[in-house]
Amino acid sequence: MPSRLRVLLPRVGQYLLVGWAAATLNFALPHLAPGDPVDYLYAGETLGLAPELREQIRAGYGLDRSIPEQYGAFWAGLARGELGTSVQYNRPVVDVLMDHLPWTVVLVGLATVASFVIGTALGAWAAWHRGTRRDAGAVVAMLALGSMPGFWIGMILIAVFAVALGWFPSYGAAPPDGSGIAWLGDVAARMALPLATLTLAGCAGVFMLARATMTTVLDEPFVRLARAMGLPEWRIAIGHALRNAVLPIYTYLTLELGVLLSGAVVVESVFAYPGLGRLIFEAVTVRDYPLLQGAFLLVTVGIIAANLLADLTYPLLDPRVRVAA
Amino acid sequence: MRARGAAAVGLGILAALVVVALAAPLLAPYDPTVRAGRPFAAPSAAHLLGTNDVGHDLLSELIYGTQASLLVGTVAALAATVIGSVVGLVAGYVRGAIDTVLMRLVDVVLSLPVLPLTIVIGVFAGPGLVTQVVVIATVIWAGVARELRAQVLSLRERDHIQALQAMGARAWYVLPRHVVPAVAPIVVPQFVLAVRTAILLEAALAFLGLGDITAKSWGTMLSLAQARSAFLTDAWLWWVVPPGLAIAVTVLAFALLGFAFEEWARPALRMPAARPARRRSAVMAVPVDADAPALHIAGLTVEYRTDRGPVRAVESVDLTVARGEVVGLVGESGSGKSTIAAAALGLLPPAATITAGIVDVAGEPVSTMSAAALRALRGDRVALVPQEAMSALDPVRTIGSQIVGVVTAHRTVGRAAARDRAAELLGLVDLDPALVRAYPHQLSGGMRQRAVIAMALANDPALLIADEPTSGLDVLVQGEVLDLLDRLRERLGLAMLVISHDLPVLERIADRIAVLQAGSVVEIGPVAAITYAPEHPHTRTLVAAVPRLVPAS
Repeated sequence: MPSRLRVLLPRVGQYLLVGWAAATLNFALPHLAPGDPVDYLYAGETLGLAPELREQIRAGYGLDRSIPEQYGAFWAGLARGELGTSVQYNRPVVDVLMDHLPWTVVLVGLATVASFVIGTALGAWAAWHRGTRRDAGAVVAMLALGSMPGFWIGMILIAVFAVALGWFPSYGAAPPDGSGIAWLGDVAARMALPLATLTLAGCAGVFMLARATMTTVLDEPFVRLARAMGLPEWRIAIGHALRNAVLPIYTYLTLELGVLLSGAVVVESVFAYPGLGRLIFEAVTVRDYPLLQGAFLLVTVGIIAANLLADLTYPLLDPRVRVAA
Repeated sequence: MRARGAAAVGLGILAALVVVALAAPLLAPYDPTVRAGRPFAAPSAAHLLGTNDVGHDLLSELIYGTQASLLVGTVAALAATVIGSVVGLVAGYVRGAIDTVLMRLVDVVLSLPVLPLTIVIGVFAGPGLVTQVVVIATVIWAGVARELRAQVLSLRERDHIQALQAMGARAWYVLPRHVVPAVAPIVVPQFVLAVRTAILLEAALAFLGLGDITAKSWGTMLSLAQARSAFLTDAWLWWVVPPGLAIAVTVLAFALLGFAFEEWARPALRMPAARPARRRSAVMAVPVDADAPALHIAGLTVEYRTDRGPVRAVESVDLTVARGEVVGLVGESGSGKSTIAAAALGLLPPAATITAGIVDVAGEPVSTMSAAALRALRGDRVALVPQEAMSALDPVRTIGSQIVGVVTAHRTVGRAAARDRAAELLGLVDLDPALVRAYPHQLSGGMRQRAVIAMALANDPALLIADEPTSGLDVLVQGEVLDLLDRLRERLGLAMLVISHDLPVLERIADRIAVLQAGSVVEIGPVAAITYAPEHPHTRTLVAAVPRLVPAS
């Protein structure tokens, strides 16, 4: 469908621009930041280095060449899938990232779905009861929830559910060995608290949006007509109002994904969960710049991929863009 | 949730926080940077919140933390709001290439993951209060810019700005005098929301060890508590809970203010939902009287509750529509036409009450029925053709499924039978039955109005209420829709109450016309009598206002 393409192509161009900006920022930061880029490569272990050695390292990394040349080499490396070497792990950054990626994908993916479902359901419920005490209570509760830092929610959940009650383990993602159902059960138990933390931190935003859109949709003429046609209230609420209110919430989900990925950085750190977020935290702590930059790039690419997925699947929800008039 | 209440609570919290921040040296029992007791002490009279790992008094740290958290939050948000506002104003007003470039930049910043971006820049910039402010402002200005630009763009379309530009006024003249004052109210809520984001970002940065060690904020306190695993012991109660609560309460104060601004900007969020009120007085089983008129209204009086006391919208109205009869109801907007229609459908808004009179539809007393009985009546015995033909259909569901929905709401039929009925109904209103699979946006305005009429006919109603059935349609299509209603009435023996402000529409279709003025029926009679021998002065005005082609004599 050409009309679809006309909508999609500028979006793809936008995503390419974002990817380019993220990569270029990665390249530029070590040069813009105070000090010698060599220090950023070796996490400051190079501070006492002899000037000759320092020059050798500069030449080895091509840092003695002109900026445009270096930029070209940087992109050539990216094209080959090279992101440098992690100082802390002494392994290629790409390998380290790939080890940690699956945990974050599962954790953030589940948290996105959970916060979407809970936030939408509660927001629609509040809009249905808007102007009442129930609505006011839900709004205050959600504003309060959205005001709490994600990592703090995590710390409180650990103190209560892991330490005081002992219901869930408080750190890690999987026991080192084991297999089958027992292993999966352990993985689920270890995921429970981080997942709850991210979901709690994420559903407030969805709630406020769902409440606002549902309020708008409930005033639409087609809702009034459905009522005048004697449709049962629950069918109006779910079949017509919610069905329409879901559209803007779905597009918001990709924004939500960025929020949750940000949340994952701090929440994974609290739970020592071995995902990308924890990796970023470690990289910050030991100043492993190549690893940090690689993680930043990967998270950006992940968000772009999710946006693209949302653009491609949106027509399934909205016939107005699926079926041409 | 009253917006005013939210704003008052938010402002109250903020005032308290500012006082604490300014009076920190007086309020704090110890200097938070010196060792005041033994490390890891539990709360005691000397240290109300205990001490941390190096013996600093936690209460004093908490009080002083207000300074760093508020300072970084407000300064970063202020910088972001100023930058964002300027970019938004320029992009929205100048447009063209500058707009394109600026907005691409805004889109890129908004697409990057906020916290990882903040961290990456923060790590290279190094820890410190100033760099924190710069980094946070760099990350959050773009949202303000996008919002401001949207406001400026809509403002540009206003007449007085267009007039100024047409007269050749320059940007430096128009912007400060006409654009800035108009968008200024938007800047305040944007700033409030920016502070909220900035404080949370500061907390996250400090938690990751990127804060200023010399000026401890609440996030720094939590970072140390985390590093010392305070939450694995009882220490979480006095070391983890208070700083987190402080952050949450501060952010909540700004969130409440932002919420209040949003409620003020969108009054719909404050209004109670427009649902029919629940009624318990159930008069259910009334034997259906086949001879009863399709609609019988007697002495109907309806009042609306308003802030300035009750307002009477309809007063002592008598109106009867016999079986197979078409009655037109004409009146200006505000004359009570729609209230009468809503009363006949049992769909009066919660603020309206029937204070006197009766409304019977096909012999059933609408005015005293339970909500459930009313629902069963609507769409079955009495159906509505609404005035918003273009938006009366659900945009994301097929025409067929919407007709099927009306059928199955009142009849227990199989899916296939309901589908067949939908196709049959489309044929009845001269639409292609294949359109059951079509979506509303694929239909023209006239076709949509036909589809809505098909929905109304789904369960063979005794009475059809058509509320301005031709509004928003062009003249030719108006004629087609009126012809269709006329034919349906002949074919199905349908009784109709047609509401319009347009006398010729009613003259074309009605048997009798009732003239409504200020909530009362001032004249009712056959079409010919109303048109050629109007008695009431208001009717005469209405008739005289219609341009007529007088045959040349």
